[in-house]
Amino acid sequence: MSEEQRLAAQLQDRAFGLFGRSLHIRTFDSGSCAVCESEIRLLSSPYYDLHRLGFFFTPAPRHADLLLVSGPAVRAAEPALRKTLEALPEPRIVVAVGACALGAVFTEDELVHGRVDAVIPVDVYVPGCPPSPLALLYGLLVAVGRLEEKVQALRFDLGEELTA
Amino acid sequence: MLWFLRGIRRGVVTSRYPARPDPSAAQLPTPPAFHADRLTVELAERLAAACPARSLRRDGRDLVLDLGGCTCCGRCSVVGGEAVAASGEFELATRDRGALVKRIPIGGGW
Repeated sequence: MSEEQRLAAQLQDRAFGLFGRSLHIRTFDSGSCAVCESEIRLLSSPYYDLHRLGFFFTPAPRHADLLLVSGPAVRAAEPALRKTLEALPEPRIVVAVGACALGAVFTEDELVHGRVDAVIPVDVYVPGCPPSPLALLYGLLVAVGRLEEKVQALRFDLGEELTA
Repeated sequence: MLWFLRGIRRGVVTSRYPARPDPSAAQLPTPPAFHADRLTVELAERLAAACPARSLRRDGRDLVLDLGGCTCCGRCSVVGGEAVAASGEFELATRDRGALVKRIPIGGGW
């Protein structure tokens, strides 16, 4: 890692650290089947209760710190997605949620971009179809730097240890 | 008074995650993990063909798993038998999309 990359990473960590105590989330459905939204909605249930972690949903993008995007970024939603992102004040975080948003379900064609990061820059990717509320909570905590990523160390080879 | 407090205590349903592991995590469908030494090229091809999300493919002597597309449907477990098991991992969020692509070496023969 070069000195510039290291400084950029430090700056990014600092920016994420700013969100450590309270964070407002705006969701955006860019053409998903609504199962991701169903799981996102469960985060507000008494069982997961994301408010205890300082996360709150807000309907107003101008009040939001984080944009939670699901769906494969259909082209019809592209202007709304860009406008929503521009309405979020800086610094802001974009989290792509679900297999569609990560570009693994739909291929690019005249109707759909096929992945969210083809339209807007994405900071954190949360895989799953749909990602469970626990996976979403983990993704949010990774996004604000309160938990470390662990997927790099996972090998998915049971012949050895699962982690490197 | 003690009964009241006990009722309050037993009534807490909120998950302690991430401070403590969540008991429901064990019930979650999770992506597959593989016994590399039991994988063969032929089995890798069959696994790739069985994956409805096209998240498995063979690349030379590696089986490539894209966690970003895996729907945890379990069809690879049916096809792969003892070579495949659920990983139990749901904490997969990352800032690097490429980190979700895993290469599992095919340890068996053809």
